[in-house]
Amino acid sequence: MRRLIWLSVVAAIAIAYPLLLSSPFQQRLGALVLLYAIAASAWNIVGGYAGQVSVGHVVFFGCGAYAAMGSYAKFGLSPLLGIPGGIVLAVGLAAIIGVPTLRLSGHYFSMATIAVAETVRLIVTNTEWLGAAVGLSGPTVPRNVFDLSFLSSLPYYYLFLVVLVITLLITWWMTNSRMGFYLRAIKDSERAARSLGAPASRTKLYAYMLSAALTSVAGALYAMMFGFVDPESGLGILISVKILIMAALGGAGLLFGPLIGAAILVPLEEISNSWLGGKGAGLTFVVYGAIIVLIARFQPGGLLSLFTGRRKPGADKGAGHAP
Amino acid sequence: MNFKHVTRLFCAAAMFLALGSGAQAQDKVIKIGVIMPMSGGTASIGAHAKAALEVAMDIINNAHPELGNLPLAKNAGLAGLGGAKIEAVFADNQGNPATGQNQALRLITEEKVAAVFGSYQSGVTLTSSAIAEKYGVPFLNSESVAANLTERGFKWFFRTTPIATDFAKIYVDFLADIKAQGAKTDSVAVVHDNTEYGTSVANTIAGAFKEKGRPIALDIAYPVNATDLQGQVLQLKDKKPDVVIMISYTSDAILFAKTMQSLDYKPPVLLADDAGYSDPSFTKAVGKISQGAFNRSSWVVGPPGSASAIIADMYKKKSGEEMDDTVARQMQGFFVLADAIDRAGSTEPAKIQAALKATDLKPEQLMIGYKGVKFDDKGQNVLASGAIIQLQDGENYVSVWPKANAEKAPMLPYKGW
Repeated sequence: MRRLIWLSVVAAIAIAYPLLLSSPFQQRLGALVLLYAIAASAWNIVGGYAGQVSVGHVVFFGCGAYAAMGSYAKFGLSPLLGIPGGIVLAVGLAAIIGVPTLRLSGHYFSMATIAVAETVRLIVTNTEWLGAAVGLSGPTVPRNVFDLSFLSSLPYYYLFLVVLVITLLITWWMTNSRMGFYLRAIKDSERAARSLGAPASRTKLYAYMLSAALTSVAGALYAMMFGFVDPESGLGILISVKILIMAALGGAGLLFGPLIGAAILVPLEEISNSWLGGKGAGLTFVVYGAIIVLIARFQPGGLLSLFTGRRKPGADKGAGHAP
Repeated sequence: MNFKHVTRLFCAAAMFLALGSGAQAQDKVIKIGVIMPMSGGTASIGAHAKAALEVAMDIINNAHPELGNLPLAKNAGLAGLGGAKIEAVFADNQGNPATGQNQALRLITEEKVAAVFGSYQSGVTLTSSAIAEKYGVPFLNSESVAANLTERGFKWFFRTTPIATDFAKIYVDFLADIKAQGAKTDSVAVVHDNTEYGTSVANTIAGAFKEKGRPIALDIAYPVNATDLQGQVLQLKDKKPDVVIMISYTSDAILFAKTMQSLDYKPPVLLADDAGYSDPSFTKAVGKISQGAFNRSSWVVGPPGSASAIIADMYKKKSGEEMDDTVARQMQGFFVLADAIDRAGSTEPAKIQAALKATDLKPEQLMIGYKGVKFDDKGQNVLASGAIIQLQDGENYVSVWPKANAEKAPMLPYKGW
């Protein structure tokens, strides 16, 4: 019951936010929070629940971003039509990457995913058809509503909200399904799970592919909002790190953890940049970094564990795996 | 316990609310949003740009009669707006197209800037100018050279810097000039890296020479940040072109100079395309073995007492660095924007846009070596140009072409070490 009340409070805030704070920058901030919440929730499926800390998730993000921009820049279609293409690409790539790398455990898996991400970034940088170092741009002056190029951030906000709700529903459904139980068992001890007959490799691969598909959707939405993707902004390793930090900060392996993380870090980053960025000397990152250090030191299980931790002691132990 | 949670939420909400209260209107101050990389790998660019624009604001906002024909220098503030002062609102793009766009939105909607200026990296300029276009706010770019920026059909985008087609024209003209003086310039080789910059500039130069009926004799591409360039230098040594055009970033430019020395290869004419060859670390490391190298620059310091010499002095006092080509182009772009606002006599975007379109600055009204500033329908400055400089006395470049601004005569052939 209490959970239901909380859910409706969060939902009400989410729906009302852009109407209460109606300046364009605040609305855009809201949209960005939701966008990163989608990406971090997608990462959470494999990084949080399955405990496989992927630092190369930007590959899937890039699949979506490039598919969306490519469908416009290369075929003159609506970027929206690139989303299914991006998903197919991301899932296929996840299968190819996942089969060999998911056998690795712990840091070795993380390192392998970084290597793949960097390789893909370099390949794209040298591929003329994908815009090479210049990147691809989307429609600047929208031809119709399907180009998804709006002046106001409001349409983006509600679109992202819908996608986030779908992402969270899929995650919630997964955690309560057989797959969710397998994943938690694998996270606690893969060997024990295997000895009890849980199909560890297959389950991890499915989670990885599901996560890749949702990450690619986030990438496509990102590219549509900014109307541009280049190797650095679509495939740069820092995006992976950002997504990962958000999930870890809010609480990896918790349904609403990534949302909390994004709701804190995105405004923190944008506001500190707005206030301090113009002063020079990179003060933004100093403040941003300091807050992350403080949270990692005093609340390593993620901020959401402040609330859930009291109710279910020890429920968030696994979150400590995130680097 | 529930109450405590609610309080926490309210704290978060308050944080959001605090955002909107930053902007406050002041009398007679015209804000220009400036988006630059203030952090990240190119942070030094942003720091230099900030110092340069502060000098520019000093010149605009205070009386500087010693600067002669430079518009806005004579009196304090903008005469067209009753002596209003220009204020640059700096924002950090972190070298990231998304951050640049967010900051452009903030500058336009929260800071209510009259125009936006930036954003160094072509990708960031692309995204941040898209927001300005949607809002109908003038955007002036002074340093991004990607050709596609002015090919988007934008109505609010203006660019003062020369782009690859302009560089190519400079090289064709310069080589024709020294040929008239007796140098042999028949076969031209282009050496470039495989980045966006390297390939696009090389292609444009090759196209310009072909148009003149003199196709490039040799095109040598190499991977950027190379560890070995002996093969490329040997290829040059074998083909013996009269002119070698180098399009390289700093580390490759240094390695080329060292490799050429160790393989004892000296082209008769070595012409570099800005970038690495303009970097002070290039001249410090291998300037002494690259004597006679020609280079492109739009910035040429005039004799003592001239406007450009005074500005160079002011900049050096502010930043502790010598003025370079990039900074000078940025400063010039800022002057062009301020001049347009002055002539518009208003901060209304449409009036500034009209004034920018009507811009027609003569060379003597500029601090930099353009032939003037005049925008075409796409917003590109059609009079943008550059000069040729040469490494003649150790580690310093001197201007050698065109003759009107030359400090010394071009020294031929390439001397090396």
